[in-house]
Amino acid sequence: MIDDRRRINPPSGGTSAPVFARTVKEPEYLPSLRPTRERGPNDLRKIFLQTGIVPSASGSAYLEIPITQSKTTSLIPPRSSLKIACAVHGPKPLPRSAPFSPHLLLTTTVKFAPFATRNRRGYIRDSAERDLGVHLETALRGVLIGERWPKSGVEVIVTIIEGDEDAWWGDSFEGGRGGAGGGWGLLNVLAGCITVASAAIADAEIDCVDMVSGGVAAVVQDQENGKEASRLVVMDPCPSEHRDILAACVVGYLPSRDEITELWFKGDAGAPPEELIEKATHAAAASMSVLREVVLEAVQAKFQGQLPEFKGKSKRKNDQPDVEMTG
Amino acid sequence: MAPPPSLQVNLSPAELSFIRSSLAQTPPIRLDHAKGPKDFRSMRAECDVLPGANGSARIALEDGTEALVGVKAEVEKSQWRPVPGESARLTAAGEVTMLDVDDAADKDENTKGKGQNSWVEISVEVPGFRDDDALPVFLAAMLTETLLASGELKDRLYINNRFHWKLYVDVLLLSPLLSYPLSLLSMTTHLALLTTRLPALKSEKDEDPLFDDDWDASVQLYGKERQQIEKPPVIVLAMAVGSNIIFDPSKEELAVADAVLAVACTTSANSGGRIVSIRTVDPPSHLTPPGVPNAMNSATGGKVPTSSADALTQRELLSNSGVWTPPRGGMKRSLLSGIVKMVVEKGGVAEEVIEALQRVEIG
Repeated sequence: MIDDRRRINPPSGGTSAPVFARTVKEPEYLPSLRPTRERGPNDLRKIFLQTGIVPSASGSAYLEIPITQSKTTSLIPPRSSLKIACAVHGPKPLPRSAPFSPHLLLTTTVKFAPFATRNRRGYIRDSAERDLGVHLETALRGVLIGERWPKSGVEVIVTIIEGDEDAWWGDSFEGGRGGAGGGWGLLNVLAGCITVASAAIADAEIDCVDMVSGGVAAVVQDQENGKEASRLVVMDPCPSEHRDILAACVVGYLPSRDEITELWFKGDAGAPPEELIEKATHAAAASMSVLREVVLEAVQAKFQGQLPEFKGKSKRKNDQPDVEMTG
Repeated sequence: MAPPPSLQVNLSPAELSFIRSSLAQTPPIRLDHAKGPKDFRSMRAECDVLPGANGSARIALEDGTEALVGVKAEVEKSQWRPVPGESARLTAAGEVTMLDVDDAADKDENTKGKGQNSWVEISVEVPGFRDDDALPVFLAAMLTETLLASGELKDRLYINNRFHWKLYVDVLLLSPLLSYPLSLLSMTTHLALLTTRLPALKSEKDEDPLFDDDWDASVQLYGKERQQIEKPPVIVLAMAVGSNIIFDPSKEELAVADAVLAVACTTSANSGGRIVSIRTVDPPSHLTPPGVPNAMNSATGGKVPTSSADALTQRELLSNSGVWTPPRGGMKRSLLSGIVKMVVEKGGVAEEVIEALQRVEIG
């Protein structure tokens, strides 16, 4: 990987969070800080989604999964949240030097902001970010009808302002297993990226076969009174709320065609992965309900006053309550 | 991003349409018509080819694609971490604090959960690609993920509280990219890991590690004496055309795929196949040029559409006419579970591949 030579970088080992004296002195203090999942296994976290936030881009969207507030005395927030911004530039003509392409050339860039995670990310994309970019491209490529734009390109640029963590911060002190494969937060981030990019593409008015939305499900094993509880499949897992994530799966799902354009499964599910994939598609369908509503609202706002049939319905948002997400 | 030029095929829309319709038949007729849908391309494999590495393997496919994998192990100092409850005196500048002797006693039989993901490093080198291009990054990420998935490998790299093995797996594609290399690279890595040997440890507990210099005394990372442990995972590539599932597709077959799936699977002696990772691969078929039907081509006596809107509607009506149109959308869930079942079932594809690779090592 290329080094970033233009800036003065911190030590490559990364900076670790400060160790608070109390966590070392009192053994029972640290486990008391561990957050637990308060929603049911099939309940998702609430999503905030808005389109049209970047005026200079042809389409853009912002997605946020807010932190659920909980009483804590610790300085460190118990859970992480997810904040993703996406801008779509194009379709625009390819530069003259580029070879002929019978298709719309899709470029996806996923970048964590340097402050997005507990460990600082550099300015140059690392392999995890590039890998996320490949996943996102796979999810979107099947959805775009590329042959309608020969000789043109579109850029999907996703910036992660705040990313989900891979595990609870205290696990690095406790010496917990920290998950078999690690990197569980990336799955949540990818699901968010798929949903937000789909909203931005709809905002850019690029022809698609369907809207794609992302969903995550995981097999978790929590501890109850020191004993290992049985395995449980949960939708939309927040990695810091679970002691051990055994396997997880993210899908990019097209509800009206009942197809999957992107599937990323990893870990040891114990059983065949069908159940996990099924749950992940349910989670994706649930986030689709939000996505659909938001895109519809954006279209109505755009054509408000232009078309007679929209005139009466412009207050739609106030008529209907926000969508409550359940599996 | 443009696809890697070497993975694009120069086939006309008519040829693509022909390959697709023959693959969509029941039973499918593959490009190499002697092969069934589950048959792999033949290959030559050898192991222990690099004298300077802890383990190595080389596999050459019949179409000329060749991969070489070397595994190197180095002893590295572990990062010290504070433990709650331990009356650790934080001495100046992160000095290593030794644990009490009595709780170090039960350490050696229990290395479970001690391993860290960063102890295994995989680099993939594909000629003609920079190491930060999408393809090598994707290949390296998938290979790393499958190796770390079970958590057993990294736990075996634990030496004591202060030291661990660091495993460098260097994957080289020696030939130009003649087909999608994922399964070839994974099979070569599998073979190299099976032959990997680590020097036998002579020191005890938290002493500075001291090793036996006798190579015959070394321990195998995935040895025969550890029969109960899982084999390193193998990735198989499967593609779907219509309702047919075809394994190990060639480059030309990939160009007409509806969807491509990479499935990583491992087997152990007591249980059958187990899936550790699945990823969809973006099929190159999305980027093939669409065909122009005679009815829309003035050179063949057709009528050119009057407007672009007219052209669009005429194009949309083409989907079942046999004129090549790049596939859209994704993969049906039933097809997906079909692939998964064919890989993991008793006597399925994964078991077959791993058994075949096992025989290379013995012979």
